[in-house]
Amino acid sequence: MAGDNGHEELRIGVYVCHCGSNIAGVIDPKAVAEYAMTLPGVVRATDTLYACADSGQNLIKQEIKEYKLNRVVVAACSVRMHELTFRAAVSEAGLNPFLMEMANIREQCTWAHGHDPEGALEKAKDLTASAVAKAAFLTPLQMMKVPVTKRAMVVGGGVAGISAALDLGAQGIETILVEKQPTIGGTMAQLNKTFPTMDCSI
Amino acid sequence: MVDAARHPKVDIRTYTEVERVDGYVGNFKVLLREKSRYVRADRCNGCGECARVCPIEVPNYFDMNLAPRKAAYVPMSQAVPLVYNIDLDACIHCYKCVEACGKLEAIDFSMKDKLVWEDVGAIIVATGFSHFDPSVMPEYGYGRYPNVITAIEMERLNNTAGPTAGNVIRPSDGTNPRRLAIINCVGSRDKHFNPWCSNFCCMYGIKNAVLLKQTYPDMDITIYYMDIRTPSKGYEEFYDRAREMGIRFIQGRPSMITEDPETRNLFVHSEDVTLGRVIEREYDMVMLNQAAVPQPDVDTTSSVLNVTQSPGGWFMEYHPKLRPIDSPNDGVFLAGACQGVKDIPASVAQGSAAASRAGRILHSDQWEIEPIVAVVWEDRCVSAQGKKCGICAKACPYGAIEYEQGKAAHVVTAKCHGCGGCVAECPHNAITQMHFTDAQILAQLHALLAERPEEKILAFRCHWCSYGGADLAGVSHFEYSSNERGLRVMCSARMDADFIYEAFRLGAGAVLYSGCHPQDCNYITGQRLGAARAERLMKAFEKMEMTPGRFRVEWISAAEGDKYARVINEMQAVLNSIPKEKLMEEIERLRPEMEKRARRLREVPQVEEALEYSRQLEIAMVGEEA
Ligand SMILES: Cc1cc2nc3c(=O)[nH]c(=O)nc-3n(C[C@H](O)[C@H](O)[C@H](O)COP(=O)(O)OP(=O)(O)OC[C@H]3O[C@@H](n4cnc5c(N)ncnc54)[C@H](O)[C@@H]3O)c2cc1C
Ligand code: SF4
Ligand code: SF4
Ligand code: SF4
Repeated sequence: MAGDNGHEELRIGVYVCHCGSNIAGVIDPKAVAEYAMTLPGVVRATDTLYACADSGQNLIKQEIKEYKLNRVVVAACSVRMHELTFRAAVSEAGLNPFLMEMANIREQCTWAHGHDPEGALEKAKDLTASAVAKAAFLTPLQMMKVPVTKRAMVVGGGVAGISAALDLGAQGIETILVEKQPTIGGTMAQLNKTFPTMDCSI
Repeated sequence: MVDAARHPKVDIRTYTEVERVDGYVGNFKVLLREKSRYVRADRCNGCGECARVCPIEVPNYFDMNLAPRKAAYVPMSQAVPLVYNIDLDACIHCYKCVEACGKLEAIDFSMKDKLVWEDVGAIIVATGFSHFDPSVMPEYGYGRYPNVITAIEMERLNNTAGPTAGNVIRPSDGTNPRRLAIINCVGSRDKHFNPWCSNFCCMYGIKNAVLLKQTYPDMDITIYYMDIRTPSKGYEEFYDRAREMGIRFIQGRPSMITEDPETRNLFVHSEDVTLGRVIEREYDMVMLNQAAVPQPDVDTTSSVLNVTQSPGGWFMEYHPKLRPIDSPNDGVFLAGACQGVKDIPASVAQGSAAASRAGRILHSDQWEIEPIVAVVWEDRCVSAQGKKCGICAKACPYGAIEYEQGKAAHVVTAKCHGCGGCVAECPHNAITQMHFTDAQILAQLHALLAERPEEKILAFRCHWCSYGGADLAGVSHFEYSSNERGLRVMCSARMDADFIYEAFRLGAGAVLYSGCHPQDCNYITGQRLGAARAERLMKAFEKMEMTPGRFRVEWISAAEGDKYARVINEMQAVLNSIPKEKLMEEIERLRPEMEKRARRLREVPQVEEALEYSRQLEIAMVGEEA
């Protein structure tokens, strides 16, 4: 389905984030965007100050429409940070969220290679190219819906666990509070009066 | 505590441990072991007659072993629930308790541990913390000098419900101390033991000083500190109050405590930073504010509940700023000190936050999960052609694959967690994983190795651990060679041998095969599948006489940023040590073998298209000669 010899013409948009000076302090995001523009299937590539900010997300959303993009690559931070953010953004612009791919050019590039800006730039280009290559073969996917058992379990009956269990209970959710000792309470139960209120702990 | 016991929706199971967790968000199945207390909870009314007649005394953990309890016991009189326990390790089977219990017939020595399965939609982990044992610091004499005690022991002594009914006495002679030293940061902020600040000891040190001063106005109290950390609301003011009350603060970390063997008095040797000199002061008693440390069984808890650890053994949040309550495992949340040291207000707040995060799921009729599951190409599966196989079904950690000879293997989508193990194991390339297809991964591989591949270190990383480790290396600004090129899959189980052969065929200088440690695996046994494959690859490359170190296998947790950086730098050093011509020669020598081994990859649907795309990409990246 995908690939430039597939049924659908590839229209990939690439957004290279400055992340303030976190990325742009080491490499030139413009250079990465210009480079991305030369890659097969890429019809639009640009840099942006903060891709994750409203302005950055709006830019992506707007350009998906303007350039009729069918794939988006965001070269920015870790997927652990913002994959869900950008999936949501492209999906608001009508693109399937799984047609977005990230290149991690911050945690795994500029932050780790501050001493070597040339090497970092070359790596950022390669990581972006790799994300573009993956994007070329992405297929739309639907989230799977699973049923939910409306009961909760809290493991550990110290103050934190008790507080969680009481709040869940107050929300009307049946909650099992599991404690390995013979009594709940944790360390707090062993304490004399506690700061900041200096009332008794139990 | 009592509120929890009274709440109709909260079902408290004490003396109970989690044995196993199966399932996934919205649909967890948890196996609980309700340990036998030898007292039936439905019959015991908490009268304590059994404890009164029990002749056996053992130290009570709850009182930090400062006071005894019986073999028939509750740890404290306000226990919730108020059900007695018989400690069978201590019990001499005199059965006086049975007699004392009488008609209630609550004591039942035939009770067995009960295993029960519970279905729940979300799990909150709130397993708390433990106390550093200062006896490993001989300079403070804890365990040797009776009048050196820990803070938690002081909490029990200075407690009307405690072993001395609140009378603070010297363990050596039972007298009230007149001069007390409190030492902060014992085992905390100390590279030899625990690098972290234990968060609440400054405050509880001051708290205990204030409380003692109220009860014993003549007591002379000195707190030794490195820095006083009182950043929360009202805490600095509390510190001011302590100073106004006449509590003395000395900046300096004591180097040593010595004891007068006659009086059992203690001499604290320390620097006084303000005075700029070394001082020695005499005390009747010393209290050590020992570090807060992870629970001793944290490794078991993290593998049973499938939560990963941050440096030091605290449970790791999905993201420290954006998702501080979620664990990386969907539907599992963290609350309290198990996630990192915090005091009661913060623990309660985090408990509420976790309840609210869990509520998002538990109030929904359906929950969405990522569709990165495995799918069988039925026409490629040899079982459909009547041959015996089923390798995929054996590989799956979740038993998600139905295999019957004569029919194509079938993935039960709801059970598949998307590790990709079956995909990599299928010898006929008959399975694919959504969002991590062979074609996608291959296209990435080619892009990463398009230019000067011999200089590159291609690093395969799993999403949960080694990718996180690489992130942490960056976050901590541990610098490593910029020749590293990372490729992420969900689990090392997905790292197909074909990818590694293809990387070397393309001329990669070095390849790292990395994933989680076995006990951290997010897919039960996925890592083991990956590890076994990596071992086979290692043997194959040894046979081919590949330079050692060009293929490396490392298990790196998301907490091991330093290790990630070190491994990459060591691999760079290996590459630096091989003369360029020799490396190129070796790459050429091995290419035909790699080509042969990677050939089957080309049968996979879409791979030809990926290779065609890669050719164009390479032309764009390096020009026609590629
Ligand atoms: C000496 C001292 C004095 C303190 N004084 C104060 C104070 O005055 N004010 C203040 O705000 N804070 C104080 N603190 C801090 C306070 O104790 C903690 O903030 C609080 O106890 C954290 O609560 P928690 O529920 O996260 O963990 P915990 O209190 O450790 O509770 C965890 C619970 O989980 C249970 N558990 C563990 N593992 C498992 C498992 N695998 N399965 C089932 N159950 C399990 C444990 O048995 C325990 O009951 C003090 C701490 C110390 C050491
Ligand atoms: S039988 Fe055991 S628990 Fe009961 S009184 Fe005797 S020693 Fe105590
Ligand atoms: S391993 Fe592959 S060929 Fe064998 S049964 Fe599973 S899907 Fe079919
Ligand atoms: S082995 Fe992994 S990817 Fe394959 S069916 Fe099982 S859980 Fe899914």
